[in-house]
Amino acid sequence: MTTTAAAAPAVRASTSSLSVLAWYEARRFARNPVFLAAATLTAYILWDRQRGMVADINAVTVYPAIFLGGFGMVAAFWLTQSMRRSADALDVAPTPWPVRTAAICLAAVIPLLCGGLSLLAIGVFQQVPGDWTYGSLGTSNLFAVVLSQTVLPALGGPLLGAALARWVQFPGAAAVLFLVLYGWVTLTYTLAAAHRHSTLIVMLRFFAPFAFFTNEDSPGRVETWRGSPWFFLGWQLCLCAVAVIVALLRGADPGLRTRLLRLLAGVLGLAALMYALAVVGGWGYPVMTMPGAAPVPIAG
Amino acid sequence: MTTSISLRGVGRKFGAAWALSDVSLELSPGVIGLLGPNGAGKTTLLRLLATALPPSQGELSMLGFDPTVPAERTEVRRRLGYLPQEIGFPHGFTAFAFVDYIAVLKEWTQPDLRHAEVRRVLDLIGLAGSSAKRLRAMSGGQRRRVALAQALLGSPAVLILDEPTAGVDPEQRAVLRTVLAELARTSTVVLSTHQTEDVAALCDRVVVLDSGRVRYDGQVTELVGRAAGRVWLADAPDPAASASWRTGTGRYRNVAEHARTGVEHVEPSLEDAYLLLRGSREPDWGHAEELRS
Repeated sequence: MTTTAAAAPAVRASTSSLSVLAWYEARRFARNPVFLAAATLTAYILWDRQRGMVADINAVTVYPAIFLGGFGMVAAFWLTQSMRRSADALDVAPTPWPVRTAAICLAAVIPLLCGGLSLLAIGVFQQVPGDWTYGSLGTSNLFAVVLSQTVLPALGGPLLGAALARWVQFPGAAAVLFLVLYGWVTLTYTLAAAHRHSTLIVMLRFFAPFAFFTNEDSPGRVETWRGSPWFFLGWQLCLCAVAVIVALLRGADPGLRTRLLRLLAGVLGLAALMYALAVVGGWGYPVMTMPGAAPVPIAG
Repeated sequence: MTTSISLRGVGRKFGAAWALSDVSLELSPGVIGLLGPNGAGKTTLLRLLATALPPSQGELSMLGFDPTVPAERTEVRRRLGYLPQEIGFPHGFTAFAFVDYIAVLKEWTQPDLRHAEVRRVLDLIGLAGSSAKRLRAMSGGQRRRVALAQALLGSPAVLILDEPTAGVDPEQRAVLRTVLAELARTSTVVLSTHQTEDVAALCDRVVVLDSGRVRYDGQVTELVGRAAGRVWLADAPDPAASASWRTGTGRYRNVAEHARTGVEHVEPSLEDAYLLLRGSREPDWGHAEELRS
C-alpha cells in the first residue's frame, strides 16, 4: 500500500483569508441591530445637542462612548459568539481561530469610523459658550480629552467585546460588563467631584477605559481635575492592544501563544507606565474656570 | 491500492474513560460505512479523522500528513470536508451566506470562484432554489443538507460524514447517494450512520465499532454473507432467535446466531447481519488483523 497526499484545490488563497474575512465581518458588524441602534442614537443625540449650547462638553462626549463603545461591545460580543453554534464545522476549517478573531477585531474599524465622525460632528457643529466649557485644558489636551471620550471608546468597546466572547460563554457577559464599567465610571466621577485633591481617587478614576477630566460645578463654573489626558489616551490604547492579544490567544498554536504572551507582557508594562504618567501628569491640583476669568486653584 | 488514512493503535480518552481503544485501520478512496450502537465511539473516531480531536495514543496519518503537527493539520484541513453529528447555525444567515462564510474559512478567497463553488454544492444537494432562504425558516432536513453542502466544498479528498441522512427525505437520500458515490471515485468518504440501508447501498467496506473497539472491518457483502441461513420467515416469533419482528405481510422475520434448517430462509440484509454481529458472543467477527498485517 502507498500513502498519497492529495493536492489542495489550486483556486484558493490568492489573497489573504484575513482581509476577506475582515471585510465579511465588517459587513456583519455594520448590519448588527445593536450596533445600528447605537449609531442611530449617537447621531440623534449629537444632532439634538448641536441645536443648543452646552455648558460642559461632557454632556456631549459621553454619548458616543456609551452607545458606540458600550453597545458596540455588546454587538461585537454577539457577533463573535454567533458562530459558536457552528463551531464543530468551523473549527476544522484551515483558517485558524486567531485569524478569525483578528478579522472580528479588524471589523471594529466600523465603530471606530463612527467615533471619528462623532468627533468631527462635535468639533464642527457643537456650539460652546467659551473655552471655559472645556475647563482649563489647552488645545492639545482638549483634543486628547475629546479623542479619549469619543473615538477610543468606540474602538475599545468592540475589541473588549470580542475578547470577552472568545473566553466567556455566558451570553449576557457583555451586557454585565457594560453595566459594571458604567457603574465604575459613575462611581469614580462622583467620588472625584467630592474629593478633588485625593490621589487615590485620581488613581481609581483612571483605572477604567473611560474617564472624565472636567465637571460643571455650577452654571458657568467648570472644574478641571488632575491627570494627563494624553497619557490617559496612551493607557486606553494599551488596553485596546491587551484586548486584541487576549482575544487572539484563544485557539493559538503553541508557537503563536508564546509570542502573544511575550507581547502581552510588554504591552501590560507599557500600560502600567501610561497609567502612572496619566495619574501624575497634567494639572497637579484641580482648578476652577469661569467665563472671562483666569483659572483658579480649588482650595483643598 | 492507495491509502489516504492510516490509524495504528489509535485511542482516545476522556477523563479516565477510553471512548476509543486500539483502533487500527487503513482507509482508501471509496465509501466506508461506520456502524455501531450509541456510545460505540463512532463520533469520537470521526472527530479524530476530522482533526477536531487529537488521539490520546497511537499514530494517525491522513493523506500523508500528521494531524498532530499544527502546520500539517492545516494541510489536512485544506483537503477535508466534515459534517458533524450536530451543527447549529448562526442567526440571520441564509443558506448561501452560511456556506459562503465557511468557503471563506476554507480559503476560497476569490469571490467569483467562491460563489460559483457555493452555488455548485447547493445545487448538488438540491437546494439551489432555496439558497436565499434564511436557515431559520428551513426544515430540519433542509438544514441538514445545508450542513452537508459546506462539507462538499472543493470536492475534498477526505469527507467525514456523521449521520448525513438524519432527517433527510428518501428522495434526497437517493440524491445524496449519487453525489457520494461520484465523489468516492477519487475521495475517501467515511460515513457514520444508523441507517444500514445507506451503508448497503453505498459502501463496499464497513467498519463496526462496539465499546470503542473495532468489532468488524471488511466487505459489506462478506458481513451479509455471514447471516446466510440465519434469517427466516415464520408465522410466529422463534424463541431461539436473537431478534424477531412482525413484518408488513403479517409473518415474523427471525434472525438467529445459529443456522436453522427446515425453515423458510430469506435473503439476509445488512441490518440482519449487523443484528447478528451485535448479538454474537464472538469477540472479533472481522478480518481487522488481516488488514493490519
